[in-house]
Amino acid sequence: MTEILAERSFRGLATPEAIESVHNHLDAIWADAAFVPDTDQMIFTTAVIETAANVVQHGRPIGDEPVELGVELTVSATRLQAKVSAFHAIEPIVPYDDAELPDEDSESGRGLALIKALVTTLIFERQDETNTWILSKDSRPES
Amino acid sequence: MQFSYELKDSYAEVKSSGRLNMVAAPKLRELVSEVVAGGNSRIVVNLEETVFMDSSGLGALIGCLKAARQAGGDLRISGVQPQVKMVLELTNMDRVLAAYDSPEVAFSND
Repeated sequence: MTEILAERSFRGLATPEAIESVHNHLDAIWADAAFVPDTDQMIFTTAVIETAANVVQHGRPIGDEPVELGVELTVSATRLQAKVSAFHAIEPIVPYDDAELPDEDSESGRGLALIKALVTTLIFERQDETNTWILSKDSRPES
Repeated sequence: MQFSYELKDSYAEVKSSGRLNMVAAPKLRELVSEVVAGGNSRIVVNLEETVFMDSSGLGALIGCLKAARQAGGDLRISGVQPQVKMVLELTNMDRVLAAYDSPEVAFSND
């Protein structure tokens, strides 16, 4: 088991403002884990925000309860990981492996391709009315 | 995130600071629409203080570029920081959104 050196978590209604909170948690985890190279921080932050924004933008409730966004961030010596969840949500309409870049004129549809370009692995799970995307990126301190 | 704009001799400079994300993107679209409606379709978005941009921010820039071109002008960007540069490159949009070192040089050869 790899030792967790820093962790943060967020859960709240899936609103645009939640994205700002998640971003603040990312800034805070990098303050705690300053050994993570700046470039890896930048790459991982972008991937997590894209995934969380995807939940806010496309998450649709399965029943009466509104969709909630959950983000769990962990940093170990060699790996950055984020579990981004949409609680009380229907299954995503767009398959998560559909990651083609759209036409240059298009004003949306680049998020998933961007996420895939940024992370080492991306896993999707659905369980108990919850969609979870697990992002991980290999990262080692600069020597 | 904050936006402001200033009319220069041959273009309008829109300054964007902070995070250009899904909260800020509609505000950028609104401001640029206003600037274009005011008769200024040559726009430079100064991103020197934009520390972060996601795909919704990028979508807003593309929407603003289209609005400027439809009005007979263009939209260019300046002062691109490393994270914004990475997003532009990974989405191949660096070929569409022309980046300049400073707002002053963005329209200097037109």
